[in-house]
Amino acid sequence: MPILVIEDEPKIGDYLQRGLTESGFAVRLARNGRDGLAMALEDEIELVVLDVMLPRMDGWQVLAALRARPETEQIPVLFLTARDDVQDRVRGLELGADDYLVKPFAFVELVARIRTLLRRGPPREEDLIQVGDMEIDVIRRRVRRGATAIVLTAQEFGLLHLLARRQGQVLSRSLIASQVWDMNFDSDTNVIDAAVRRLRRKIDDPFEQKLIHTRRGMGYVCEAQSAAP
Amino acid sequence: MKAGWLSTLRHSLTLRITLMFVALVALAAAGLGTYLYRAFVAEIERRDDIQLLGKLRQVQILLGRPGAADLLRTRPDFFRDTMSGQENSLVRFVAPDGRVLADINAAGESYPIPPSAGAAPERGVIVSWTSRHGDPGRVVAGSASLDAGRLTVVVARVYGERSAMFARYRSRIAAAAGVSALLAALLAALLLRRGLRPLRTIAGHAALVRPGTLAQRLDLDAAPSELRPLVDALNAMLARLQDGYARLSGFSADLAHEFRTPVTNLLGQSQVMLAQPRGVAEYEQLIASNVEELERLARMIESMLFLARASQDEVALARQPLGALDELDKMAGFYEGMAEERGLRLAYSGSGTVLADPALLRRALANLLSNAVRHAAEGSTITLRAEQRGTVTELSVINDGAPIAAAHLAHLFERFYRADPARRDAEGSTGLGLSIVRAIMDLHGGTAQVRSENGQTRFTLVFPAA
Repeated sequence: MPILVIEDEPKIGDYLQRGLTESGFAVRLARNGRDGLAMALEDEIELVVLDVMLPRMDGWQVLAALRARPETEQIPVLFLTARDDVQDRVRGLELGADDYLVKPFAFVELVARIRTLLRRGPPREEDLIQVGDMEIDVIRRRVRRGATAIVLTAQEFGLLHLLARRQGQVLSRSLIASQVWDMNFDSDTNVIDAAVRRLRRKIDDPFEQKLIHTRRGMGYVCEAQSAAP
Repeated sequence: MKAGWLSTLRHSLTLRITLMFVALVALAAAGLGTYLYRAFVAEIERRDDIQLLGKLRQVQILLGRPGAADLLRTRPDFFRDTMSGQENSLVRFVAPDGRVLADINAAGESYPIPPSAGAAPERGVIVSWTSRHGDPGRVVAGSASLDAGRLTVVVARVYGERSAMFARYRSRIAAAAGVSALLAALLAALLLRRGLRPLRTIAGHAALVRPGTLAQRLDLDAAPSELRPLVDALNAMLARLQDGYARLSGFSADLAHEFRTPVTNLLGQSQVMLAQPRGVAEYEQLIASNVEELERLARMIESMLFLARASQDEVALARQPLGALDELDKMAGFYEGMAEERGLRLAYSGSGTVLADPALLRRALANLLSNAVRHAAEGSTITLRAEQRGTVTELSVINDGAPIAAAHLAHLFERFYRADPARRDAEGSTGLGLSIVRAIMDLHGGTAQVRSENGQTRFTLVFPAA
């Protein structure tokens, strides 16, 4: 089922469609609120990415209309707002939105949020994660690559666990800071870079095959094949 | 429209004071007039009563003369004439058996006959009555001897002309009171206009204040002493506005300047790259570099918005009691990698509880730690310390390193202030970190302090007690 993007800003609409398509989603794009609502009612839609400031029918109205109909009330809605005030956020969540992002946002952040919303229900935590020849025993907090056991600090393990749990996904620095260290603000990016470098020294440096990759301008991804993005 | 006009009137100081003044003067004039009138009336009445008693006395004396009985019988008018031609005088002689011996009463008035008050009546026995025309009258009865016999003499008078005089006097007093009230109103309005002139002068000066002329002050010496507190307050307000305005415009200038650097980078490198066809790797390189600049811009925008909201108290605080040591432990964990990379050690110690918004507290500490890691001497230890001092909890970040000059210390928490201008673009710093720290502490009702001495720089966050 496709994701519906309702966004009037042409450049944002175009890159969202392109980026989400390339991230493996089917995407439909509406340039105003009324068309967006019509598409949501006609087609089977899996998730709506909704800009708040829209011509003809604003995002709040679209959201209210979606929530008012039984066939669309369950569709997850992630709204985009340029106004970072509490009132706006509260309003959106009160109207029944599931999540929001404040412009400007990092694209990988949007993809991560969409994936979370689509996962439906709490993700099943795996006890044993395999990435290439790396094996992570989550319960015993042990990591080995092939026959070599690797000793990590608590911080390093937390970081590796996050990257491996969401292998193949590019994780932004702010998402990493929030998930691993509970730092929910735009922190100094150097801190995350340093932490990843430290982890790599133990996980990747001694081995031929690298598992943690930098996606410049986006963040980090953990995967066995270093395929170009 | 009408309501506006009314409210203007209600709010006019001149009008209000004038009206009060007029009321006061009118009241005083009326009071004085009434008093004078009453005194005057009482005096006239007393005089008339004494005259009436005098007439009675005269008649009594006349009756005492020899031959008075005959005279009374043959020429009663003689007695009336004795009243020196006053037409309004009425005299009646009554015998002891009640027979009226003579009645001089040309107008045919009927008046009460009071009981005889003896040979020498006092004022108190005089009785009032009212004539046929409604004029006030007075009557007194006394005894007299006539040819060894006794009879009662009744003397009465009608005071028609007196009532008219009183009425004239009353209207004159009323007119005088009215005129003085009017004069008072005029005078009060004139004086108030003069008296309030300094206010208009101040208003005139205040009206000339523009953003560009905030340095001007209202003239304190020209103001009367009653208005000095107002002028002082206005001048202090101007000073605060000037300060705020200067900071704001300085801030806008700084902001534009800060934005200029990343935008220049973006523009320049993109244009250079577009000038020739290039390989994919080069384009990728460009885009990634652009993303870095854009991230910096986005961070600056976010920080600016945070500061703007914080200064207007629009940041919702979710305060909760937090273990100080737990928080330091978290921060140390977060910065572990970065510190290690620079050959630094992180140590933390202390105890206590802070009542704070966890996200904001961590943000403040993270900004301090980023600075500390950046400026610490290689191989040194950065110390995080929590201390409970009386009612406050202090969280300190201490690093060894080149001291910060005293001249810079006072300005460190200002937006875009950098002690070392050469480090302007160092490592993606926005120049807003410490001002955010201060804004966060302001929101918590605490303070952010800095000391730099003996090769050690110590930033302290002071949280007030719960």
